Amino acid sequence: MQITVNDIQKSYATVQAVQGVSFQIRPGEIFALLGPNGAGKSSIIRMLVGMTRPDSGSISVQHGDEVFDHVPRRYLGYLPEDRGLYIDKSVEKNLRYLAQLHGLSATETEQQLEHWLAVFELTDRRKEELKQLSKGNQQKVQLIAAVIHRPALVILDEPFSGLDPINQEKVVQFLQRLRAEGMTVILSAHQMAMVEKLADHMLLMAKGKAVLAGTLSEIRTQAQPQPEVLIETERALTPAELEQWLPDLDWQLTAPQRLTLKLSGSGQLSDCLQRLLPHCPLRAVTMQNPDLHQLYLNAMSQHQQQEPAV
Amino acid sequence: MISKQSITVAKWEFLRFFKWKQQLISYLIMLGVMGAVFAWSYFVDEGRQQYRIAVPAGFAIESTEQFQFQQPTISFAEQLQQLQADETWHAVLEPTSEQVIIHTKAGKKWQQQLQTVLQEYYRQQYAAEQGWTEAQLTKLQQPVTLEMRFLDDNYKGKDRPEKLIALAVLFMLLIGLSTAFGQLLMSITGEKQQRVTEQLYAIVTPQQWIDGKVLGHSLSALKAMFTTTLMMLLGFVVGVLIFANKPLQLDWLNFGVLAWLLPFALLGVVLCATFMAAIAASIDDPNTSGKGAVMMITWLPLLFTYLVIDSPTGWAMTLLSWLPVTSFAAMPVRLAMVELPWWQPALSLLLLVATLYWLRRVAGRIFLRGMQMYGKEPSWGDIMRWALSNKVD
Repeated sequence: MQITVNDIQKSYATVQAVQGVSFQIRPGEIFALLGPNGAGKSSIIRMLVGMTRPDSGSISVQHGDEVFDHVPRRYLGYLPEDRGLYIDKSVEKNLRYLAQLHGLSATETEQQLEHWLAVFELTDRRKEELKQLSKGNQQKVQLIAAVIHRPALVILDEPFSGLDPINQEKVVQFLQRLRAEGMTVILSAHQMAMVEKLADHMLLMAKGKAVLAGTLSEIRTQAQPQPEVLIETERALTPAELEQWLPDLDWQLTAPQRLTLKLSGSGQLSDCLQRLLPHCPLRAVTMQNPDLHQLYLNAMSQHQQQEPAV
Repeated sequence: MISKQSITVAKWEFLRFFKWKQQLISYLIMLGVMGAVFAWSYFVDEGRQQYRIAVPAGFAIESTEQFQFQQPTISFAEQLQQLQADETWHAVLEPTSEQVIIHTKAGKKWQQQLQTVLQEYYRQQYAAEQGWTEAQLTKLQQPVTLEMRFLDDNYKGKDRPEKLIALAVLFMLLIGLSTAFGQLLMSITGEKQQRVTEQLYAIVTPQQWIDGKVLGHSLSALKAMFTTTLMMLLGFVVGVLIFANKPLQLDWLNFGVLAWLLPFALLGVVLCATFMAAIAASIDDPNTSGKGAVMMITWLPLLFTYLVIDSPTGWAMTLLSWLPVTSFAAMPVRLAMVELPWWQPALSLLLLVATLYWLRRVAGRIFLRGMQMYGKEPSWGDIMRWALSNKVD
């Protein structure tokens, strides 16, 4: 399933929730929507699901030869941000009901139920009422509800929320499994470490606008146009020495034997190393790759600075 | 047409509130309570005892099965003493020139029956004094027979057994609507509170969802009506056969009228359930919303019909039986009490079906739009606008 979103806008009363956002989601990939609360992620998801319509712009969903303006229900698995199930009913009854609504036969339902309950280690608890389960296990049941009919596209709004690190890791494996099975996944999350492991492409949003988009490396390039290199030396260096050896480079001495260099062009690193090596032996040279969390914070900070004060 | 998904929703909703064990227990408790009431009234029935009444000499009253009148030889003061000591007498009579004083220890139910017997005795005494015969006295006591004859051939008369059926239908509708009211409010707002609604929206359309809800809770209402009817019939049969010791006669049942009553009752329940679903769908939080009470508007057609039930040919009943929002209650009553050409109930039924179709579309729109407001409850203005819009979602 391929989705192309082109310059969509959405307003609620006086709030402009989404402002001219465009992106593309390729078949079989995991696409992450990132951003702080109120960034417009859930608004975009609701437009993709067809719950609301964009005020302007377009959404094109292509599945085989069919083209739609939102994801049709029959191809969709959805875990909403505002979610819950019938807490006074058993795990099994909840899932059977939703599977029947998706049009699964009794045999198909049973097969899928057994499969997913085993994946999430809930087989022994299938007869228990939902309210008897922990929040984490309830969340797992919600995830099963979203995929029990094996949809072409799964949209998961905050799938990690309320989960402990072990269960978060299980959800990561679950999402990797969905991708391996050919499902396209859209997820919205705050857990950058999880997203970093999973997402093929991502869109970082703030106040309804797209801030950064692309693969992780593309986002790195956008968020940090000058890559940084950490150079550790065998002996202590002084600023005066560096002024003399590297007068034209953007460096910073963070410790007597640690030098950070901001690269502004290709070949600059080898040039720098050639100039340093005659004066002092080097212990290590490491490319500084900030993680997604850092990139996210940087981008948010830059965005806030660029936004006109109200 | 009702989709497969709507039927799945309906089945789920019906079974959600169908706790057969609890219901069976409640019926058993109800039967137990009724049994206890009957048993209690049997044991405390004072009519089955015999009471001894002391009367003065010359008081020529005959004893009955319940009252034994005796003329004691002891003095009046001694009679009172015995009465005070709970010995011999239940009452002592003291006739004066103006009245008869009944002395008893404390007030009891049998004393009213004694008064009736004494009144009859004194009436006969008075008739004898006046020289009236028994036949003259009977004639005097009997009310004049007044018979109503109606020139309108279509009017069946207000005291016909069909009126009982009509009243029973109104009562059953009240039971059904009360059931649907409670369950729909709990089900729809409960789903919002438990945050299931958005998940369901991704699976079924708002129309499929509302159709399923209405169907499921209409079935619950009909089940409540059916079981209540069954219980009442059971009570009626037991009452006639056992307590009244009479043969069961059902020849007064008019199956022609019943055949018309059923579709009206059925569609009426569905219509009211649809209206209730539409209102419930606009409620975000039942604890703070005042809209829940509006769902009770559906009881008004029953009340309006009841108020004009004794004038089935009047303009008010005629109007109510044609208005699609009240016809489900009024037309069955009119049918039961007035002879109508077939096309009148048929056309009224058709209007009811058309209104139901329109209302279910409105309910679907209200549900969708209400959900799109994300936690903000729509105003009455919003609801009216959505109801009147023809936009297809």
